[in-house]
Amino acid sequence: MNLSIPRRVRFGMLNNVSRRILLLAVLAVPFAHVARAADVEVKVDNARIRLLPGNLPLAGYFDITNTGKSVVVLEGASSSAFHHVMMHRSVRSNGQSEMHHVDSLELAPGQSLHFEPEGLHLMLMHRTRKLAVGDQVPITLMFEGDRTQEVVFTVRGAGTQ
Amino acid sequence: MVRKIATLLAITVACALGVTGCSKDPMKWDLVNITGIMEPLAFSLTDDHGQAVTQDDYRGKVALLYFGYTHCPDVCPTTLARLSQALSTMGSDADKVRVLFVTVDPKRDTADLLKTYTDSFGPQFVGLRTDDLDRLKAFNKRYRVTFGYGKPDADGNYEVSHSSAVFIFDQQGKARLIAEATDDVPAIAHDLKQLVSGN
Ligand SMILES: [Cu+2]
Repeated sequence: MNLSIPRRVRFGMLNNVSRRILLLAVLAVPFAHVARAADVEVKVDNARIRLLPGNLPLAGYFDITNTGKSVVVLEGASSSAFHHVMMHRSVRSNGQSEMHHVDSLELAPGQSLHFEPEGLHLMLMHRTRKLAVGDQVPITLMFEGDRTQEVVFTVRGAGTQ
Repeated sequence: MVRKIATLLAITVACALGVTGCSKDPMKWDLVNITGIMEPLAFSLTDDHGQAVTQDDYRGKVALLYFGYTHCPDVCPTTLARLSQALSTMGSDADKVRVLFVTVDPKRDTADLLKTYTDSFGPQFVGLRTDDLDRLKAFNKRYRVTFGYGKPDADGNYEVSHSSAVFIFDQQGKARLIAEATDDVPAIAHDLKQLVSGN
């Protein structure tokens, strides 16, 4: 291998690499953000959390509609206010009630889903901070294709639906 | 025919004027009637103040019995919220009712936790517990229900399957009605009002 590579060429090679890194840094990252914000065409209403005392798990409820022209797949949620957020469905059979994990939910164009008492709910585990009735809590809904949508949930009292 | 209509009209007017004996059938229940089918209220548990209690401590009250657990984020608080909303339509009669929340998860549901939990639904809500799982099972079985524990996750959290029914007893501790998840607030309120007035 010839070690006496002219300085100019070596600089040229380095420049190529750093140019690529620059391109990736300047273009790719902001593009990813734009894509996330713009791509999920969903409408979310009536987002609320029912407060329980202490650090008991809470339920988050909302209505979601696919307002776009392609299928949207809801794959989960996360929030800085909770250590874990899971999608659950309460199921009743023979007078017994239990919760099942839900991995993903498909919404056809125009389709709505209701996260509501005694059905689908976000299971909000281990608060990272104290919550009070009236608080606004952001929760990020995560969709297939690494797309997200932030939704603000209102904290309501224990005796509410 | 005309006479028949006239009679009906007379009855209707009399009822509208509040003449006694022609109010809506007082024995019409919106919830499932279990009078004579289920066992009367009987238990020996500890309340959320740590006091030993039995059914006799709630004699004279309409008692609503529910088997649940505080780490239940959806079904239990939804049921208790419905009961709380029904009670809030009853004025001072609400004090003639007690909601007995019997935890099927005594391991996590201490008396203190039960107290703060039931307090968040209203003054008529009482938490009851026992560490004796056999006694708890027998109490469930008495009302033909059961409970079971799911596998703990990495953090030690587990879910509990439990009855979704609310068993309703009159002031004498006789089983009278069952409220299910499908029964709405007006139906529950309607029947509770009838029960507290001694029907
Ligand atoms: Cu759940």
